[in-house]
Amino acid sequence: MQSYKGRFEPTRFEDLTVTVDFHCHSACRFCIVQEGMNLFRGVPFEKFKRAVDDNGRAPRYRRVTFTGGEITLEKSLFDYLRYAREHGGFEHIRLQTNGRLLADMGYAKRLVDEGIDEFFVSLHGPDPETQDYISQREGSFDEAWRGLENLRSLGVTLMTNTVLTTLNVDVLSEIVERVSALSPARMEFWNYLPMEDFDDERGLLVPMAELGPALRAALDRAAHHGIPCAVKYVPRCLLGEHGDCMDNTQPDVVIAEDFYDVYPKFACLWEAKCEHSEACLGLTHPYIHKLGWEAELLTPTPRTRPWEEPEDGLAYGSDDPHGPERGPAHHPEWLALVDGVAEPLGARLVEVLLDRRRCTYRFAVGPEARVDLVLTRRTDDRPALTRTRSFDVSYRNLHLPDGDTAAREVLAKVIEHAARAVTERDRGAMLLDERKGLIGPEALRRHPRKNPRAKVGS
Amino acid sequence: MSEVVLRAVEAAFELEPTAPGDRYFDYCLEPYRPRRPPRGKLRSENLLWKSLEVAGQLEAMAPPLRALQAALGRDMVVFGVKHDGARLWWELYVYDPRKEDPRATVAGLREILAPWLRIAPAVHERAPYMMVSFDLDADVLARGSVEELNLYLTGTDEHMGRSYRVRAEGAELTNTYRFLSPKREIDTVLGLLKSSLFVDYADPRTLPEVLIPELFACKKVCVAKKRDKDGVYYSGIDVDQLRWFLERFDYPAALRAFADACAARFDHLYFDVGLDVRQDESGAIVHPKTSFYGTL
Repeated sequence: MQSYKGRFEPTRFEDLTVTVDFHCHSACRFCIVQEGMNLFRGVPFEKFKRAVDDNGRAPRYRRVTFTGGEITLEKSLFDYLRYAREHGGFEHIRLQTNGRLLADMGYAKRLVDEGIDEFFVSLHGPDPETQDYISQREGSFDEAWRGLENLRSLGVTLMTNTVLTTLNVDVLSEIVERVSALSPARMEFWNYLPMEDFDDERGLLVPMAELGPALRAALDRAAHHGIPCAVKYVPRCLLGEHGDCMDNTQPDVVIAEDFYDVYPKFACLWEAKCEHSEACLGLTHPYIHKLGWEAELLTPTPRTRPWEEPEDGLAYGSDDPHGPERGPAHHPEWLALVDGVAEPLGARLVEVLLDRRRCTYRFAVGPEARVDLVLTRRTDDRPALTRTRSFDVSYRNLHLPDGDTAAREVLAKVIEHAARAVTERDRGAMLLDERKGLIGPEALRRHPRKNPRAKVGS
Repeated sequence: MSEVVLRAVEAAFELEPTAPGDRYFDYCLEPYRPRRPPRGKLRSENLLWKSLEVAGQLEAMAPPLRALQAALGRDMVVFGVKHDGARLWWELYVYDPRKEDPRATVAGLREILAPWLRIAPAVHERAPYMMVSFDLDADVLARGSVEELNLYLTGTDEHMGRSYRVRAEGAELTNTYRFLSPKREIDTVLGLLKSSLFVDYADPRTLPEVLIPELFACKKVCVAKKRDKDGVYYSGIDVDQLRWFLERFDYPAALRAFADACAARFDHLYFDVGLDVRQDESGAIVHPKTSFYGTL
């Protein structure tokens, strides 16, 4: 079985991200979709409506995020916003933006009035000198900063995003100090992903020996100011006491499937030895080729549990698979398919883990024994425990303490009863989709670039 | 299908589709469960036929290869397609670790291939080899004689072994190798790699050229120690990784285009690939030979 570290896919299925278009008025030197700007189209409105309508009927996403390119350049943004607000049943609507147009208070207020309650604003430097150099647009820092101040005065949830490159690694703490004045709800630090420049000809990859200390210092400052942080694509072992800041989860993105084919992939030599390998991605392949596996620098936390080659990405939408049981509070329609099955048998339903491709019900008996019942789209040609109107039903990940035959019997009954319940309750209207990106070739321009290395995931 | 794709799929041979009786083996002839339902897909042997076509050897080599397949059974012969950056050649592997099939022996090969090839080396069939292989190229076929055999003997356990090159004048040890789980046994993998006369790993950029991140997500690695180089083999990669490998090591464009065009029909398979590695005088890593494997 291959490790998820060979792949990169959506994992956080409470968030839906919609790429409306790929135009931008900045030209950030690290932009990971410069060529993608020419390759990917935005999501057609009809496709977007379908995703929103689906969520309105059977809610699975709590938040919808609009992004681009630079989303605020898109004239039809308000059509998308309105439709999401009126039909999607989302708890939050978020905008991911460079913030420049938000310097216009009237525009910022209009966005808020249309229902956006969370703003995720890029800030890659603490001052005009750094940010304008990175964005290659003079005045971009001042515009973004005014935008941030406008948003603060409007009382919305404010978050910043900083892409970590050689261009700003020396000023990360200064960025935190500057942003702290805005009291953001969170600061995110995303390590640069070479998505098109696989050989890093732009020289943007920061050696981990340099990035680790700089980032830890910035996280120290953020902790001092009481700002929660999230860090992506940096090995957890480099975060020191801020290891809990690691968050490699990805929202579900309405985007061309090919987008994920050109994303960098990850690997770590210590995957099987490290306690955190289910959630930590390690290093990108381009980084490893340029700067090595970092065998000495990366230090695995000894595992307390046996390592198993993960079959399907991060642990089903949770970046903390070993945290407390969350309980099956979400996805009520999906919960209803097996509701009431476990308890009479002396078991419990621990979680309902829903992504686009499968619904996983995790049942447990006692502290250790558990099994997953898995629904996937009905295909008729792959092995299944049973098939319902909509689904192939199977089970996996049976974990039993040694010799616990009583738990085995209970879990066997749970699987049997749950499969029967799904068969009886599935009316054929619930959909699972095996694609990664929701949108097929129609979201690509007619003359994509030619880069076969990228197609197979360099 | 677009015209470009159609051209890539065009072949001078009839594509071999999967069949209900197909079995799925890695290059050690260990069985695996297909990654996808195999119905409507292609057998891995199509890559062999395409490589022969690309090299202009299809017509000449198909008869002995078909004879091997017919005599030993579908999927029971492992093929390797070898590439040195300039030319292709092939190696065929026949396994019989338990000595169950008298045809899967040197004597058996001698008989099956007699119409095309004479097997020159003499091998005592009591020798405890579990696999025999030989190289095949235009010269071998033109000569009508296989001058060298490779005999593989297991070591203290089945995860390690040795191979000997056997010629008419005698045998010599050419290779010791060990199979490992890349992630669970990473310390051993690294230890074996770094115990090398041919590659100096002091520069951190060297290791990724041998332990390649794109191939690290595999089922098994094999670290081989050869007479004048090291070898690393990655077993259990998917078709996308194979396509990456073919491009990275500059296999002929027509073969790559075929793999690309048929990728969706090879996605039920696992593949195996290998590379020889050493440093040249300037310290640069070179790969004197690479190879990929499937079953015939």
